[in-house]
Amino acid sequence: MMTPLATPSVDERIDLSSQIDPARPWQTVVWDDPVNLMSYVTHVFREYFGLARAEAERLMLAVHNEGHAVVSQGAREQMELHAQAMHDYGLWATVRQEPR
Amino acid sequence: MSGRVVVMEITRLEAGHLASLVGQFADLLRDSVPEDGDPAIARMVPPAYSDDDEAAREFRALTQSDLLDRRGADAAIVLDSLQDAAQIPDDPDDPALLEHVEIRLDPPSAHAWLRTLAAVRLVLATRLGVVDDDDHDLDDPRFGIYDWIGYRLDGLVSALDSEG
Repeated sequence: MMTPLATPSVDERIDLSSQIDPARPWQTVVWDDPVNLMSYVTHVFREYFGLARAEAERLMLAVHNEGHAVVSQGAREQMELHAQAMHDYGLWATVRQEPR
Repeated sequence: MSGRVVVMEITRLEAGHLASLVGQFADLLRDSVPEDGDPAIARMVPPAYSDDDEAAREFRALTQSDLLDRRGADAAIVLDSLQDAAQIPDDPDDPALLEHVEIRLDPPSAHAWLRTLAAVRLVLATRLGVVDDDDHDLDDPRFGIYDWIGYRLDGLVSALDSEG
């Protein structure tokens, strides 16, 4: 088993009951990692999502303290675009349907 | 938040080291394919679905090569803006090495710099085995490089964020 390095611990339990449910929105989730600087992550949230500094900092701290944070919610295609943009910045992002 | 030119002051010596490091990063991007299993490359194209392997594979197939191409393009922009500053003499005692030069970055270049410095840190962290916040061996000189890139990245972020 190869140990993943410089990676966040993405731990989402596989919920067998979580079939695709059109009523539940999709989410882009950014995960904490030990490499990206807090100032940089805040900057990315401000620049990409156009957030005010305070809101971007709140999100960054949520990522840092909780291990992850939902940064956007909506249609699946849009969430995938956001995840791709986050990957461009070097942030670890995933897409999921809102947990029940 | 954007629109202004950011001016960075840097010594020729530092510019030379930076150009060398970013050059190695560009080589890594050019010479490797994700299928090689290099964890540093893998870190740049993480799985977008943690609970659905099929969706993760599809997403990867659609986005991976474009993403790595953009990384290469970013690195090329950084190298281009470093070109003049990184002209350094061979003589290690030459005072010109410590001469400060200005690098002017327009918004697209500053953007390329940010993403490239962040990516170079990801590669270094992967090579250094940084797994959590406490993995920081101060006696390992490679962490000096890692911290130095972080310092430059943080300075650039401050410069961009102070624009108003």
